[in-house]
Amino acid sequence: MSTETDVEKITLRIAQIMIDELKLEDVTPETFDPEIDLIDEVGIDSMDLATVALVLRDEYAIRIDEDDYPKLKNIRLLSEYIDNKLKNRS
Amino acid sequence: MDALKGKQTDTTAPDKEWKFSEILADHKTRDRWEKVRQYFFLRESTYDMSNRCNIKCEGCYYFEGDKQFARENKDPEAWRELMRAEKERGITYVVLAGAEPSMAPELCEVCYQEMPLGAIASNGLKFIPESIQYKIHISAWGNDETSFKIRNAKNMLGRQIENYKGDPRAVFVYTFTRDNIDQVFEVAAKIAEHGCQLTFNMFSAPVGYDGSLRHTADSLDKTRKAMIDLLLKYPRNVLFSYYNAVAHTHRSGLHDLYACSYPRMNPSTDIGLGRSFRQYRTDLSWNREVACCVPDTDCVDCRHYASGSAVVTARLFRHAGDPDTFKAWLDYVDTYLAIWVMGYDKGDNLCSHLVAPPGHEVF
Repeated sequence: MSTETDVEKITLRIAQIMIDELKLEDVTPETFDPEIDLIDEVGIDSMDLATVALVLRDEYAIRIDEDDYPKLKNIRLLSEYIDNKLKNRS
Repeated sequence: MDALKGKQTDTTAPDKEWKFSEILADHKTRDRWEKVRQYFFLRESTYDMSNRCNIKCEGCYYFEGDKQFARENKDPEAWRELMRAEKERGITYVVLAGAEPSMAPELCEVCYQEMPLGAIASNGLKFIPESIQYKIHISAWGNDETSFKIRNAKNMLGRQIENYKGDPRAVFVYTFTRDNIDQVFEVAAKIAEHGCQLTFNMFSAPVGYDGSLRHTADSLDKTRKAMIDLLLKYPRNVLFSYYNAVAHTHRSGLHDLYACSYPRMNPSTDIGLGRSFRQYRTDLSWNREVACCVPDTDCVDCRHYASGSAVVTARLFRHAGDPDTFKAWLDYVDTYLAIWVMGYDKGDNLCSHLVAPPGHEVF
Protein backbone atom coordinates (compact mmCIF):
# COMPACT_ATOMS: atom_id res chain seq x y z
CA MET A 1 0.00 0.00 0.00
CA SER A 2 1.39 3.38 -0.97
CA THR A 3 1.68 6.32 1.37
CA GLU A 4 1.73 10.05 1.00
CA THR A 5 5.50 9.82 1.07
CA ASP A 6 5.48 7.55 -1.99
CA VAL A 7 3.44 10.06 -3.95
CA GLU A 8 5.72 12.88 -2.79
CA LYS A 9 8.78 10.94 -3.94
CA ILE A 10 7.19 10.30 -7.32
CA THR A 11 6.23 13.97 -7.57
CA LEU A 12 9.82 15.08 -6.99
CA ARG A 13 11.12 12.53 -9.45
CA ILE A 14 8.67 13.61 -12.17
CA ALA A 15 9.65 17.23 -11.58
CA GLN A 16 13.32 16.32 -12.02
CA ILE A 17 12.58 14.39 -15.24
CA MET A 18 10.58 17.32 -16.63
CA ILE A 19 13.36 19.76 -15.80
CA ASP A 20 15.97 17.51 -17.44
CA GLU A 21 14.03 16.43 -20.51
CA LEU A 22 12.35 19.71 -21.30
CA LYS A 23 15.33 21.84 -20.26
CA LEU A 24 13.24 23.97 -17.94
CA GLU A 25 15.14 26.80 -16.29
CA ASP A 26 14.88 28.59 -12.96
CA VAL A 27 13.09 25.73 -11.27
CA THR A 28 14.16 22.80 -9.06
CA PRO A 29 12.18 19.68 -8.16
CA GLU A 30 11.49 21.25 -4.77
CA THR A 31 10.21 24.54 -6.20
CA PHE A 32 8.23 23.00 -9.08
CA ASP A 33 4.62 23.63 -8.09
CA PRO A 34 2.88 20.23 -8.44
CA GLU A 35 -0.42 22.02 -9.04
CA ILE A 36 0.78 24.25 -11.88
CA ASP A 37 -1.02 23.58 -15.16
CA LEU A 38 1.60 21.97 -17.39
CA ILE A 39 -0.19 22.85 -20.62
CA ASP A 40 -1.53 26.34 -19.94
CA GLU A 41 1.18 27.66 -17.64
CA VAL A 42 4.36 25.70 -18.42
CA GLY A 43 3.61 25.44 -22.17
CA ILE A 44 4.08 21.68 -22.42
CA ASP A 45 2.46 19.97 -25.40
CA SER A 46 1.70 16.40 -26.40
CA MET A 47 5.20 15.72 -27.80
CA ASP A 48 6.79 16.90 -24.54
CA LEU A 49 4.41 14.77 -22.53
CA ALA A 50 5.17 11.73 -24.73
CA THR A 51 8.89 12.27 -24.14
CA VAL A 52 8.37 12.42 -20.37
CA ALA A 53 6.09 9.37 -20.58
CA LEU A 54 8.90 7.38 -22.20
CA VAL A 55 11.34 8.23 -19.44
CA LEU A 56 8.71 7.40 -16.81
CA ARG A 57 8.10 4.08 -18.58
CA ASP A 58 11.78 3.26 -18.11
CA GLU A 59 11.82 4.38 -14.50
CA TYR A 60 8.60 2.79 -13.20
CA ALA A 61 7.91 0.11 -15.83
CA ILE A 62 4.44 1.52 -16.41
CA ARG A 63 2.71 2.66 -19.56
CA ILE A 64 0.99 6.03 -19.80
CA ASP A 65 -1.68 5.67 -22.45
CA GLU A 66 -1.80 8.40 -25.10
CA ASP A 67 -5.53 8.76 -24.42
CA ASP A 68 -4.75 9.67 -20.81
CA TYR A 69 -2.50 12.65 -21.62
CA PRO A 70 -5.33 15.21 -21.49
CA LYS A 71 -6.15 14.16 -17.91
CA LEU A 72 -2.58 14.64 -16.68
CA LYS A 73 -2.67 18.41 -16.41
CA ASN A 74 -0.23 18.79 -13.54
CA ILE A 75 2.52 16.89 -11.74
CA ARG A 76 0.26 15.95 -8.83
CA LEU A 77 -2.21 14.24 -11.18
CA LEU A 78 0.67 12.55 -12.98
CA SER A 79 2.20 11.22 -9.76
CA GLU A 80 -1.17 9.96 -8.53
CA TYR A 81 -1.70 8.27 -11.91
CA ILE A 82 1.67 6.50 -11.61
CA ASP A 83 1.05 5.62 -7.97
CA ASN A 84 -2.28 4.04 -8.91
CA LYS A 85 -0.68 2.03 -11.69
CA LEU A 86 2.01 0.80 -9.29
CA LYS A 87 -0.59 -0.13 -6.68
CA ASN A 88 -2.69 -2.01 -9.21
CA ARG A 89 0.36 -3.95 -10.30
CA SER A 90 1.36 -5.09 -6.81
CA MET B 1 13.39 -7.04 -53.22
CA ASP B 2 13.69 -8.18 -49.58
CA ALA B 3 13.34 -4.66 -48.31
CA LEU B 4 9.80 -4.50 -49.67
CA LYS B 5 8.66 -7.51 -47.64
CA GLY B 6 9.14 -5.68 -44.37
CA LYS B 7 9.42 -6.86 -40.81
CA GLN B 8 7.63 -5.90 -37.66
CA THR B 9 10.22 -5.96 -34.89
CA ASP B 10 13.92 -6.23 -34.29
CA THR B 11 14.84 -9.76 -35.27
CA THR B 12 17.55 -10.00 -32.63
CA ALA B 13 14.99 -9.94 -29.81
CA PRO B 14 11.42 -9.90 -31.11
CA ASP B 15 9.74 -10.36 -27.70
CA LYS B 16 11.97 -8.13 -25.63
CA GLU B 17 10.39 -5.21 -23.81
CA TRP B 18 12.70 -2.38 -24.70
CA LYS B 19 13.48 0.53 -22.45
CA PHE B 20 13.65 3.88 -24.17
CA SER B 21 17.18 4.33 -22.83
CA GLU B 22 18.18 1.03 -24.48
CA ILE B 23 16.75 2.17 -27.81
CA LEU B 24 18.74 5.40 -27.50
CA ALA B 25 21.95 3.52 -26.67
CA ASP B 26 22.62 3.31 -30.41
CA HIS B 27 24.44 6.55 -31.14
CA LYS B 28 22.91 7.14 -34.58
CA THR B 29 19.45 6.76 -33.11
CA ARG B 30 20.25 9.08 -30.22
CA ASP B 31 21.80 11.71 -32.49
CA ARG B 32 18.76 11.71 -34.74
CA TRP B 33 16.41 11.86 -31.74
CA GLU B 34 18.29 14.88 -30.36
CA LYS B 35 18.16 16.48 -33.81
CA VAL B 36 14.43 16.11 -34.38
CA ARG B 37 13.25 16.85 -30.85
CA GLN B 38 14.54 20.41 -31.17
CA TYR B 39 11.53 21.00 -33.41
CA PHE B 40 8.87 19.76 -31.05
CA PHE B 41 7.97 23.41 -30.46
CA LEU B 42 6.25 23.61 -33.87
CA ARG B 43 2.51 24.31 -33.57
CA GLU B 44 0.75 24.69 -36.90
CA SER B 45 -2.37 26.22 -38.30
CA THR B 46 -3.39 26.64 -41.93
CA TYR B 47 -4.78 29.58 -43.88
CA ASP B 48 -6.60 29.97 -47.18
CA MET B 49 -5.05 33.06 -48.73
CA SER B 50 -7.27 33.71 -51.73
CA ASN B 51 -10.29 32.20 -53.42
CA ARG B 52 -8.62 32.70 -56.80
CA CYS B 53 -6.49 30.25 -58.74
CA ASN B 54 -4.80 30.46 -62.12
CA ILE B 55 -5.76 26.89 -63.06
CA LYS B 56 -8.63 24.53 -62.29
CA CYS B 57 -7.72 20.97 -61.35
CA GLU B 58 -9.96 17.93 -61.21
CA GLY B 59 -10.37 16.81 -57.60
CA CYS B 60 -9.06 20.08 -56.11
CA TYR B 61 -9.88 20.21 -52.39
CA TYR B 62 -10.27 23.96 -52.27
CA PHE B 63 -13.19 23.94 -54.65
CA GLU B 64 -15.04 21.27 -52.67
CA GLY B 65 -17.40 22.30 -49.86
CA ASP B 66 -18.36 25.87 -49.02
CA LYS B 67 -14.97 27.38 -48.08
CA GLN B 68 -14.53 28.52 -51.69
CA PHE B 69 -17.44 30.95 -51.19
CA ALA B 70 -15.87 32.79 -48.23
CA ARG B 71 -15.27 36.50 -48.83
CA GLU B 72 -11.62 37.39 -49.48
CA ASN B 73 -10.09 39.59 -46.83
CA LYS B 74 -7.38 41.43 -48.79
CA ASP B 75 -6.40 43.83 -46.03
CA PRO B 76 -2.73 43.20 -45.10
CA GLU B 77 -3.23 44.80 -41.70
CA ALA B 78 -6.06 42.40 -40.89
CA TRP B 79 -3.71 39.54 -41.72
CA ARG B 80 -0.95 41.07 -39.62
CA GLU B 81 -3.33 41.31 -36.70
CA LEU B 82 -4.37 37.70 -37.22
CA MET B 83 -0.75 36.50 -37.27
CA ARG B 84 0.00 38.38 -34.05
CA ALA B 85 -3.05 36.86 -32.41
CA GLU B 86 -1.96 33.43 -33.63
CA LYS B 87 1.45 33.90 -32.05
CA GLU B 88 -0.25 34.91 -28.83
CA ARG B 89 -2.13 31.64 -28.68
CA GLY B 90 1.03 29.62 -29.29
CA ILE B 91 1.09 29.03 -33.05
CA THR B 92 4.69 28.86 -34.34
CA TYR B 93 4.20 27.56 -37.87
CA VAL B 94 1.84 28.52 -40.70
CA VAL B 95 0.76 26.67 -43.81
CA LEU B 96 -0.56 29.03 -46.48
CA ALA B 97 -2.75 27.10 -48.88
CA GLY B 98 -5.92 27.52 -50.96
CA ALA B 99 -6.79 28.40 -53.46
CA GLU B 100 -3.44 29.63 -54.86
CA PRO B 101 -1.37 31.72 -52.41
CA SER B 102 0.83 33.16 -55.16
CA MET B 103 -2.24 35.19 -56.19
CA ALA B 104 -1.91 37.11 -52.91
CA PRO B 105 1.86 37.64 -52.43
CA GLU B 106 1.37 40.79 -50.33
CA LEU B 107 -0.57 38.76 -47.75
CA CYS B 108 2.04 35.96 -47.75
CA GLU B 109 4.67 38.64 -47.14
CA VAL B 110 2.82 39.93 -44.07
CA CYS B 111 2.50 36.40 -42.71
CA TYR B 112 6.23 35.85 -43.14
CA GLN B 113 7.08 39.13 -41.42
CA GLU B 114 5.08 38.09 -38.36
CA MET B 115 5.63 34.31 -38.38
CA PRO B 116 9.04 33.27 -39.73
CA LEU B 117 8.37 29.52 -40.05
CA GLY B 118 5.97 28.14 -42.58
CA ALA B 119 5.18 26.65 -45.96
CA ILE B 120 3.16 27.64 -48.99
CA ALA B 121 1.25 25.17 -51.13
CA SER B 122 1.44 26.40 -54.72
CA ASN B 123 1.03 25.15 -58.26
CA GLY B 124 4.37 26.83 -59.00
CA LEU B 125 3.22 28.69 -62.10
CA LYS B 126 3.58 32.15 -60.56
CA PHE B 127 6.87 32.84 -58.79
CA ILE B 128 6.60 33.76 -55.11
CA PRO B 129 9.02 36.58 -54.16
CA GLU B 130 12.27 35.44 -52.55
CA SER B 131 11.66 37.78 -49.64
CA ILE B 132 9.15 35.19 -48.39
CA GLN B 133 11.44 32.53 -46.98
CA TYR B 134 8.87 29.82 -46.42
CA LYS B 135 9.15 26.37 -47.90
CA ILE B 136 7.21 26.24 -51.16
CA HIS B 137 5.47 23.00 -52.02
CA ILE B 138 4.93 22.77 -55.75
CA SER B 139 2.23 20.38 -56.81
CA ALA B 140 2.84 17.85 -59.59
CA TRP B 141 0.03 15.56 -60.67
CA GLY B 142 1.65 13.59 -63.48
CA ASN B 143 3.51 14.29 -66.70
CA ASP B 144 2.72 17.26 -68.92
CA GLU B 145 0.11 15.35 -70.88
CA THR B 146 -1.77 14.50 -67.70
CA SER B 147 -1.34 18.01 -66.31
CA PHE B 148 -2.91 19.40 -69.46
CA LYS B 149 -5.76 16.93 -69.21
CA ILE B 150 -6.66 17.35 -65.52
CA ARG B 151 -5.24 20.83 -64.78
CA ASN B 152 -5.63 22.46 -68.19
CA ALA B 153 -2.08 23.81 -68.03
CA LYS B 154 0.48 23.42 -70.81
CA ASN B 155 4.18 22.55 -70.23
CA MET B 156 3.49 22.63 -66.53
CA LEU B 157 6.59 20.87 -65.15
CA GLY B 158 8.97 22.88 -67.33
CA ARG B 159 7.40 26.14 -66.16
CA GLN B 160 7.50 25.05 -62.52
CA ILE B 161 11.17 24.07 -62.78
CA GLU B 162 12.04 27.28 -64.60
CA ASN B 163 10.53 29.25 -61.72
CA TYR B 164 12.10 27.29 -58.87
CA LYS B 165 15.29 25.47 -59.93
CA GLY B 166 18.10 26.21 -57.49
CA ASP B 167 15.63 27.68 -54.99
CA PRO B 168 16.16 26.11 -51.54
CA ARG B 169 12.55 26.88 -50.66
CA ALA B 170 11.16 24.56 -53.30
CA VAL B 171 10.01 20.97 -52.83
CA PHE B 172 8.04 19.35 -55.63
CA VAL B 173 5.17 17.26 -54.31
CA TYR B 174 4.10 14.50 -56.66
CA THR B 175 0.57 13.36 -55.92
CA PHE B 176 0.00 9.75 -56.87
CA THR B 177 -3.41 9.01 -58.26
CA ARG B 178 -4.59 5.65 -59.52
CA ASP B 179 -3.79 6.75 -63.07
CA ASN B 180 -0.39 8.44 -62.92
CA ILE B 181 1.88 5.98 -61.11
CA ASP B 182 4.06 5.12 -64.10
CA GLN B 183 4.47 8.79 -65.02
CA VAL B 184 6.35 9.55 -61.79
CA PHE B 185 9.58 8.15 -63.25
CA GLU B 186 9.83 10.70 -66.05
CA VAL B 187 8.75 13.51 -63.73
CA ALA B 188 11.30 12.52 -61.06
CA ALA B 189 14.07 12.24 -63.67
CA LYS B 190 13.39 15.76 -64.87
CA ILE B 191 13.21 17.16 -61.35
CA ALA B 192 16.46 15.41 -60.36
CA GLU B 193 18.17 16.51 -63.57
CA HIS B 194 17.61 20.12 -62.49
CA GLY B 195 18.81 19.46 -58.93
CA CYS B 196 15.38 20.05 -57.41
CA GLN B 197 13.85 18.17 -54.49
CA LEU B 198 10.84 15.90 -54.59
CA THR B 199 8.52 14.26 -52.12
CA PHE B 200 5.31 12.28 -52.51
CA ASN B 201 1.67 12.75 -51.72
CA MET B 202 -1.30 10.46 -52.17
CA PHE B 203 -4.55 11.44 -53.79
CA SER B 204 -7.14 11.15 -51.03
CA ALA B 205 -10.69 11.42 -52.19
CA PRO B 206 -12.75 14.45 -51.23
CA VAL B 207 -16.06 13.61 -49.53
CA GLY B 208 -18.45 12.30 -52.15
CA TYR B 209 -15.78 11.92 -54.85
CA ASP B 210 -16.48 9.00 -57.14
CA GLY B 211 -13.97 9.60 -59.93
CA SER B 212 -11.16 7.51 -61.34
CA LEU B 213 -8.35 9.01 -59.24
CA ARG B 214 -9.27 7.16 -56.02
CA HIS B 215 -6.74 4.48 -55.05
CA THR B 216 -7.33 0.74 -54.98
CA ALA B 217 -5.36 -2.03 -53.25
CA ASP B 218 -3.42 -2.63 -56.47
CA SER B 219 -2.60 1.01 -57.01
CA LEU B 220 -1.45 1.34 -53.40
CA ASP B 221 0.97 -1.58 -53.85
CA LYS B 222 2.25 -0.23 -57.14
CA THR B 223 2.69 3.25 -55.67
CA ARG B 224 4.67 1.89 -52.73
CA LYS B 225 7.07 0.15 -55.07
CA ALA B 226 7.49 3.28 -57.20
CA MET B 227 8.21 5.37 -54.10
CA ILE B 228 10.93 2.99 -52.91
CA ASP B 229 12.45 2.66 -56.38
CA LEU B 230 12.77 6.44 -56.65
CA LEU B 231 14.05 6.82 -53.09
CA LEU B 232 16.87 4.44 -54.01
CA LYS B 233 17.49 5.96 -57.43
CA TYR B 234 17.61 9.61 -56.37
CA PRO B 235 18.60 9.63 -52.68
CA ARG B 236 19.79 13.26 -52.83
CA ASN B 237 16.65 14.54 -54.50
CA VAL B 238 13.87 12.44 -53.03
CA LEU B 239 12.82 13.44 -49.52
CA PHE B 240 11.17 10.28 -48.30
CA SER B 241 11.75 7.11 -46.25
CA TYR B 242 10.63 3.51 -46.21
CA TYR B 243 8.29 4.29 -43.36
CA ASN B 244 6.75 7.20 -45.27
CA ALA B 245 5.97 4.69 -48.01
CA VAL B 246 4.39 2.28 -45.53
CA ALA B 247 2.30 4.92 -43.76
CA HIS B 248 0.94 6.45 -46.96
CA THR B 249 0.30 3.35 -49.07
CA HIS B 250 -1.09 1.08 -46.38
CA ARG B 251 -4.46 -0.54 -47.08
CA SER B 252 -5.74 1.41 -44.07
CA GLY B 253 -5.76 5.19 -44.20
CA LEU B 254 -3.94 7.42 -41.76
CA HIS B 255 -6.89 7.76 -39.39
CA ASP B 256 -7.26 4.01 -39.01
CA LEU B 257 -3.53 3.55 -38.53
CA TYR B 258 -2.74 6.42 -36.18
CA ALA B 259 -6.02 8.00 -34.99
CA CYS B 260 -6.03 11.43 -36.60
CA SER B 261 -5.50 14.20 -34.09
CA TYR B 262 -6.86 17.11 -36.14
CA PRO B 263 -9.96 18.74 -34.60
CA ARG B 264 -12.30 17.40 -37.27
CA MET B 265 -11.69 13.85 -36.01
CA ASN B 266 -10.58 14.62 -32.47
CA PRO B 267 -13.08 16.05 -29.99
CA SER B 268 -10.47 16.75 -27.29
CA THR B 269 -9.46 20.37 -26.86
CA ASP B 270 -7.06 19.66 -24.01
CA ILE B 271 -3.71 19.18 -25.72
CA GLY B 272 -1.98 18.87 -29.11
CA LEU B 273 -3.60 19.59 -32.47
CA GLY B 274 -7.09 19.22 -30.99
CA ARG B 275 -6.32 22.22 -28.83
CA SER B 276 -4.35 24.55 -31.08
CA PHE B 277 -5.01 23.77 -34.75
CA ARG B 278 -7.26 26.02 -36.80
CA GLN B 279 -7.98 26.16 -40.51
CA TYR B 280 -8.80 29.72 -41.53
CA ARG B 281 -10.80 30.63 -44.58
CA THR B 282 -10.12 33.66 -46.74
CA ASP B 283 -12.50 35.75 -44.63
CA LEU B 284 -10.35 34.85 -41.55
CA SER B 285 -13.12 32.79 -39.97
CA TRP B 286 -12.63 29.20 -38.87
CA ASN B 287 -14.85 26.32 -37.86
CA ARG B 288 -13.68 23.58 -35.51
CA GLU B 289 -16.11 21.07 -37.01
CA VAL B 290 -14.24 20.99 -40.32
CA ALA B 291 -10.71 21.90 -39.18
CA CYS B 292 -8.00 19.67 -40.60
CA CYS B 293 -5.04 20.09 -42.93
CA VAL B 294 -7.03 19.31 -46.08
CA PRO B 295 -10.72 19.99 -45.30
CA ASP B 296 -13.37 18.10 -47.22
CA THR B 297 -11.21 15.00 -47.57
CA ASP B 298 -12.98 11.72 -46.94
CA CYS B 299 -11.23 10.77 -43.66
CA VAL B 300 -11.37 7.04 -44.39
CA ASP B 301 -9.38 7.59 -47.58
CA CYS B 302 -6.97 10.19 -46.15
CA ARG B 303 -3.31 9.49 -46.93
CA HIS B 304 -2.23 13.12 -47.38
CA TYR B 305 1.41 13.95 -46.85
CA ALA B 306 0.37 17.01 -44.85
CA SER B 307 -1.85 14.98 -42.57
CA GLY B 308 0.78 12.30 -42.01
CA SER B 309 3.39 14.90 -41.14
CA ALA B 310 1.36 15.81 -38.07
CA VAL B 311 -0.47 12.61 -37.28
CA VAL B 312 2.40 10.11 -37.56
CA THR B 313 4.79 12.46 -35.82
CA ALA B 314 2.40 12.92 -32.90
CA ARG B 315 2.45 9.18 -32.18
CA LEU B 316 5.90 9.16 -30.63
CA PHE B 317 5.07 6.96 -27.66
CA ARG B 318 3.66 4.04 -29.60
CA HIS B 319 6.66 4.03 -31.97
CA ALA B 320 9.15 3.75 -29.13
CA GLY B 321 8.50 0.06 -28.52
CA ASP B 322 11.56 -1.37 -30.27
CA PRO B 323 14.63 -0.03 -32.10
CA ASP B 324 13.39 -0.71 -35.63
CA THR B 325 10.03 0.95 -35.19
CA PHE B 326 11.62 3.93 -33.49
CA LYS B 327 14.19 4.33 -36.27
CA ALA B 328 11.35 4.20 -38.81
CA TRP B 329 9.53 6.94 -36.89
CA LEU B 330 12.71 9.04 -36.73
CA ASP B 331 13.12 8.71 -40.50
CA TYR B 332 9.55 9.88 -40.93
CA VAL B 333 10.02 12.91 -38.66
CA ASP B 334 13.38 13.75 -40.25
CA THR B 335 11.69 13.66 -43.65
CA TYR B 336 8.78 15.77 -42.51
CA LEU B 337 11.08 18.45 -41.08
CA ALA B 338 13.19 18.56 -44.26
CA ILE B 339 10.04 19.07 -46.33
CA TRP B 340 8.44 21.69 -44.10
CA VAL B 341 11.20 23.67 -42.35
CA MET B 342 13.62 26.04 -44.11
CA GLY B 343 17.23 25.23 -43.29
CA TYR B 344 16.56 21.73 -41.96
CA ASP B 345 18.74 19.16 -43.74
CA LYS B 346 17.55 15.60 -43.99
CA GLY B 347 19.96 12.93 -42.77
CA ASP B 348 20.40 9.50 -44.28
CA ASN B 349 17.52 7.19 -43.46
CA LEU B 350 18.26 4.95 -40.46
CA CYS B 351 15.93 2.21 -41.63
CA SER B 352 16.33 0.49 -45.00
CA HIS B 353 13.35 -1.86 -44.96
CA LEU B 354 9.61 -1.66 -44.42
CA VAL B 355 8.45 -1.53 -40.82
CA ALA B 356 4.80 -2.06 -39.86
CA PRO B 357 2.87 0.70 -38.08
CA PRO B 358 2.43 -0.28 -34.40
CA GLY B 359 -0.44 -2.73 -34.06
CA HIS B 360 -0.75 -3.31 -37.81
CA GLU B 361 0.72 -5.38 -40.59
CA VAL B 362 3.17 -3.90 -43.06
CA PHE B 363 0.60 -3.84 -45.93
